[in-house]
Amino acid sequence: MYENQVGSRRKFLKQTVLGAAFLTVARIFPRDFLFAQSVEGIPSDLRYFSAQEYLILQALAERIIGPTAQGGSSVEEIDVAQRADQFLANADAEIQDQFHQLLTVFNAPFFTFLFDLRFSSFINMAPEDKDSYLEDWMTSNLALRRTGFQALKRLCLSMFYTDSRSWKEIGYEGMFLPEDR
Amino acid sequence: MILCGQDITGPVRESADVCIIGSGCGGGASAKVLAQAGKKVIVLEEGGHYTSKDFDSTEETAYQRLYQQWAGQATEDLSVTVLQGRCVGGSSTVNWTTSLRTPEFVLEAWRRDHGVRGLSAKELEPYFERVERYLNVHVEPEQNHSPNNRIILDGANKLGYHAVAVGRNTKDCIKAGACGLGCPYDAKMSVGVTYLPDALKAGATLFADSRANRIDAQGKTKRVMGAVLDRETRAPKTDFIIEAPVVIVSASAINSPILLLKSELANSSRQVGKNLTFHLTSAVLGIYNSVIYGAGGIPQSAMCDEFLNKNGDGGGFWVEAVPIYPTLASLALPGFGSFHREMMKQYPHIGASIVLVKEIDSSGRVKVNKYGRPVISYTLRDRELSYLKQGLVVAAEIHFAAGAKKVMTLHARPTEFQSTGEIEKKLADADWGANEIALYSAHPLGTCRMGGDPHRSVVDSHCQSHDVKGLFVIDGSVTPTSLGVNPQITILAIAEKSAEWLVESFAKVAG
Repeated sequence: MYENQVGSRRKFLKQTVLGAAFLTVARIFPRDFLFAQSVEGIPSDLRYFSAQEYLILQALAERIIGPTAQGGSSVEEIDVAQRADQFLANADAEIQDQFHQLLTVFNAPFFTFLFDLRFSSFINMAPEDKDSYLEDWMTSNLALRRTGFQALKRLCLSMFYTDSRSWKEIGYEGMFLPEDR
Repeated sequence: MILCGQDITGPVRESADVCIIGSGCGGGASAKVLAQAGKKVIVLEEGGHYTSKDFDSTEETAYQRLYQQWAGQATEDLSVTVLQGRCVGGSSTVNWTTSLRTPEFVLEAWRRDHGVRGLSAKELEPYFERVERYLNVHVEPEQNHSPNNRIILDGANKLGYHAVAVGRNTKDCIKAGACGLGCPYDAKMSVGVTYLPDALKAGATLFADSRANRIDAQGKTKRVMGAVLDRETRAPKTDFIIEAPVVIVSASAINSPILLLKSELANSSRQVGKNLTFHLTSAVLGIYNSVIYGAGGIPQSAMCDEFLNKNGDGGGFWVEAVPIYPTLASLALPGFGSFHREMMKQYPHIGASIVLVKEIDSSGRVKVNKYGRPVISYTLRDRELSYLKQGLVVAAEIHFAAGAKKVMTLHARPTEFQSTGEIEKKLADADWGANEIALYSAHPLGTCRMGGDPHRSVVDSHCQSHDVKGLFVIDGSVTPTSLGVNPQITILAIAEKSAEWLVESFAKVAG
């Protein structure tokens, strides 16, 4: 976006060795690469996410949205991951493709090692490591990672705060509506 | 007559005098003028038809039904969120009602630098007056300003900056605060409750859920081809072909150039999709001891215009209030996790102001990707970055003057000020790269710019293509420069004037 700093995402990717590897590997890797989680508790009617992607998004949402305070709604209660699944199932094909790639890159140990010399997938990290990994994405010198962080943050927060159950905690009362509603 | 996706079961084949693509300010005003002049008008709208009865004032419903990409449309690198309506009535359905005339220095620059004729302040005066009267544009009395707007008036006045109430296009407004989510009371005089009903009364037909994909302008009669979409899933369910000698593209500064590029039309100048301006926007948030409750009351009724074109270079910024809906707030707030959630708990005590930068040097571009959808890019140059920084300093000072105990910007890495003394130093140390500060645009303009030179512009001063007789672009994409003000009154006035000229010249244009 800024002059002499970043051209466009694709241009940047195509012009760097890391970028070329990034794009290639994200496409080659199966979406459930090195995944070894239990599928218990995963909705059977997912329309967009694989079971593994669902768990990644749920783990991510817990860290992005933050711990539940007394009287507040949890990520699990609002089921941010399932709401995201419904949202992405209706999204444009290009957005669907990009989120599949982004979740693969974000979680896979190959990339956590490549980016930050970490030896674990995101989903298997301890909570404090997850936060520090997210911080690395948010403040990375690599514009692409900051973009990825923003995409994930926006998805999680919009799925959480559009649900009226999240409003009580923040003191939002909804809007006045005409009496006939 | 309005036909929606659910009403249309088979292929549509229709003909008209004029086919208008888009039902926002440009398309709606054009449709009214042309239909009332006796022309057979068909209006195509990609989005759905929703009325006040459908508006439930929740972000979830509004973003899904009324906004482009669930209000998530953004530049390719996600660094600038581009908010636009996608529904019958276009962005006027979801804007915050601010109604301002095009500044004179902007119109003079169009004449001087771009060869635009017939759009001086004097020549537009009767159109501005007519639009303002029709939409009941007025200034709110003192007691109607919400606490969030009072911050600007009180803070700016204490600092000696010029701040005033802005015009609003409302009637019998009850100050519910839902302007950005579709007015459930029909108090907002949007295109959907003014221009379009009058156009329909005069005989126009509107097809909602109908996305134009291509214009064929080979013969005298042009053909607009596209898909009728399922209202809920947005999947194509059948197709349409509308034949007309005159086609008006009014699909916005993002989608009008996309349609022309896909149709390989009107681009001998190579300017289609270029020269995009954003009226680039960021915000500051003030935390107050008192309750501000930024979602309630009139969302936008005051501004500080002290710094627009202050040094005569045609740039600058101004400060306006912004409604604070929960999701919008959550996306704008910096950081994540515990920090973010604690900030959200202060929601009722947050006041927010936006800084809008009028561009001089910075611009962007819209291109078509392999899916046929827009790819938006933008380059922020030094002068605008400098104005943005100055604007954030001024807005933060205004909040402190209005009594904020703490002020913060929208930097990804939280940047907070406890006093005015900290503002400049901390902003100097802040990061300004892509996605290091949240940026927005609700006023994308300029991608099919108007001008006298066919080598440097896409349409002439009547909004007709230099290349294709009978093909018009009438919407925000024709402005040759950034406006520096909210654009609806400019677009409506230009649309009324251009449509009037088309009525008078119809035989020549369509022949």
